[in-house]
Amino acid sequence: MDSRIATIARYTLLEAVRTRLPALLLVTLLALLAASFFIEAISVAEGARLQAGFYAASMRLACVFIAGLYVLVSVTREFDDKGLDVLLALDLPRSHLVLGKLAGFLAIGALIAVAAALPLALLAAPQAMLQWAASLALELAVIVALALFCIITFNQLTPAASFLLGFYLLARSLTAIRLMSANPVSGGEELSHQVIHFLVETLALVMPSFDAWTQTAWLVNEPASWSALSQLAGLSALYVALLAAATMFDLYRKNF
Amino acid sequence: MKKSMERAIGTVPRPVLVLLAAALALQIGWQALQPKPSARAEALGAPASPAVLRTLALGEPIALAQLLTLYLQAFDNQPGVSIPFRELDYARVTTWLEAILALDAVGQYPLMMASQIYSQVPDEAKQRHMCAFVRLQFDRDPNRRWRWLAHCAIMAKHRLHDGRLALSYAEAISREARLASNWARQMRIFILEDLGEREAATVLLGGLLASGEVTDPKELHFLTERLKQLKGDGKSSLPSKTRQSNE
Repeated sequence: MDSRIATIARYTLLEAVRTRLPALLLVTLLALLAASFFIEAISVAEGARLQAGFYAASMRLACVFIAGLYVLVSVTREFDDKGLDVLLALDLPRSHLVLGKLAGFLAIGALIAVAAALPLALLAAPQAMLQWAASLALELAVIVALALFCIITFNQLTPAASFLLGFYLLARSLTAIRLMSANPVSGGEELSHQVIHFLVETLALVMPSFDAWTQTAWLVNEPASWSALSQLAGLSALYVALLAAATMFDLYRKNF
Repeated sequence: MKKSMERAIGTVPRPVLVLLAAALALQIGWQALQPKPSARAEALGAPASPAVLRTLALGEPIALAQLLTLYLQAFDNQPGVSIPFRELDYARVTTWLEAILALDAVGQYPLMMASQIYSQVPDEAKQRHMCAFVRLQFDRDPNRRWRWLAHCAIMAKHRLHDGRLALSYAEAISREARLASNWARQMRIFILEDLGEREAATVLLGGLLASGEVTDPKELHFLTERLKQLKGDGKSSLPSKTRQSNE
């Protein structure tokens, strides 16, 4: 890796460590873990299953929220403090800036995933825990890359956060929407339905279906196959590359 | 002069453009090669309890009920499964429908699904299961839910060939659904007649005409003629044909 990219990545990671991100993550983890013990205590049957399921599902959402918002706020602060302007004034290609930032954020995402998965060592089988952690790291990689793209493109926190939230919700429900759209009970021949079906299928071509990532079922039912996980890794890498390229494209076209 | 917000595409280095185009093409190609998603009938899990669902609704129970309805419906729309409804666990389906109705009691969609969709499978036990579900839900709000029970009454008579069941549904509508349409409230008379209980049908029809509930002149005429036929000799040997001709 180019030393300048590595330097930017290191300082991005250092910034996360020195801000309250680790503390926030720890508090969230402990709160959700405590809530999962409470749920296990009040359940009549399948207490361990309920506990693992609740912790995994809620921690996954919390991690996505924390990682996505952290990237948005971090880059917004750079915009506001003119730190980005200083970097752009240096002999540094804009692509290096994006790659350095992205590498730092990807490392943060991976660390968040590892921390989130640690309590699962007590609640689930080791293989399932490893798969869940790896999948969460991949999911967070897409999320941080998307957040970086959003904040570079929109410049402002509110539209970037709204887009990120909307994208994530749509990606989580995309398969269900495709299923409903594919075979309606009635009105399948109507033009409006045909148009909607076409739009949904087009969206499916350019969006990841996050319902396949980081499934709680791996922890409480049976582990995923490693081939399925490697396919998710390939999809994630491809999507991160696409988002990185789109971010660079937007940054190169910006006037400061 | 105001500075332009964006620079020309030509300022973007060629490797970045190539990477963007290649990644986009790969993404589209990869997704296009993936098989279409398919759901399996046995994958339908149990819904959460109404109390949990109310909590999850975050103050929007109607919106959650609508989402759950569409979710349940998605399990019916299964590509590659020839008769999906038959493969569903009907006890579980009714649990879902109950949960949806608990969130949105005014909504008619779950009862429509029960009486018009799930009851259409060629399986008598499942048809009866759905009719029993509709009958149970009817008791909780007869004036809003009578039309679905009326459909079940017709289904019981013509498809299940169970006149007694049809009669019990028709009587429930007549007794409890005061706001139901006249045709639904009069249905029990014709079912009684078809069951051979002409005396009871005559009394009921006479009572209906005397009550003044029927005000439409054409309907009055039809029912009066019908009463005459019931009272007369050799009455209604072909009740269905007579009714069809009057309708």
